[in-house]
Amino acid sequence: MPVRFLKNASELADVSWETPLPVQVTNAKPVPADTLLVATTFVTTDANRDLLGSAATELPTLDGCMQYRKLVWFYFRAGADSTNYRVLARATDHNGAPLGAGWQELATGTLPGNANSWNRIEIPSTGDGYYDQYRIEVQRTAGSNYLLTSKIVGVR
Amino acid sequence: MSAERITRREMLKRLIVAPIGAAVLTTLEVRQASAATMQPYYAPYFVAVLWEGRTRCDSLWRSLKGDVVAILPTVQGTTPYDRLYWTGYALGSAPVNVNMRVLARAVDHNGVPLGNGWRAIGQATIQTPPQRWFRVEIPEGHWDEYRLEVRSATPRLVYSRVIASQGYWKE
Repeated sequence: MPVRFLKNASELADVSWETPLPVQVTNAKPVPADTLLVATTFVTTDANRDLLGSAATELPTLDGCMQYRKLVWFYFRAGADSTNYRVLARATDHNGAPLGAGWQELATGTLPGNANSWNRIEIPSTGDGYYDQYRIEVQRTAGSNYLLTSKIVGVR
Repeated sequence: MSAERITRREMLKRLIVAPIGAAVLTTLEVRQASAATMQPYYAPYFVAVLWEGRTRCDSLWRSLKGDVVAILPTVQGTTPYDRLYWTGYALGSAPVNVNMRVLARAVDHNGVPLGNGWRAIGQATIQTPPQRWFRVEIPEGHWDEYRLEVRSATPRLVYSRVIASQGYWKE
């Protein structure tokens, strides 16, 4: 006796290679990726300037990021002038207030890439993120000011 | 990025066990380059077909879609995907010797690229005996647009399919 099932809410179908039993992956969800920031930054020699142009060191560049395992920072730099970058992170309490002053430094170094080049930095570079706030700073150390266009995608 | 040679039997096996499923394959409605547009057809799955079709390869760098316009993407709307797979089959009786390269870029909220040009993710030469499947894995994900280009000194017809996978977690 064939096994039958209700197909399309109205049609009764025999189970076969052509009409297999409908199944669903249980207890699993696809991982979406969200665009968190698109910004253009004028990169200068000013210290502690983040991608939003703020030099207020207690302000985050990104907030509410706890659900993201990883951030991917895509950027296009118009100039090749030597630039340092810093990625900072911290956690907040239930009210959104940081647990303490300052930041944990996740990464620092020379911003990779030549003039008019595309680049990408994963945050953090190893392991998982799940921090609440991030601050990303850039500072030119030589040459002339230039535009840096960034996009940050959060991956859950 | 790595290229992998597989047999037709292995290819069929992978298609059957892939989450997209044989039933879905038979009901493909459109050939569409936008992942965002394709997504509804594959909503319950973690793998989406981004493009499928054939490419006439010649001595010019051509997108899989056939154009030589370097600013045009081959696939777009690919932000959610952490890995792309390009599976192909080259027709003809001569050994396959096709150059390929993969380019990527990010766009802003309006779909405009952040800058000019592309990031070169990788370049390789596909060399197989005639009429053999090949597969290229593109591990650098979450770019918004990709351009997959091919070139061959000997004109050749390549049938291919580009799919993308999303990671998933278990609750």
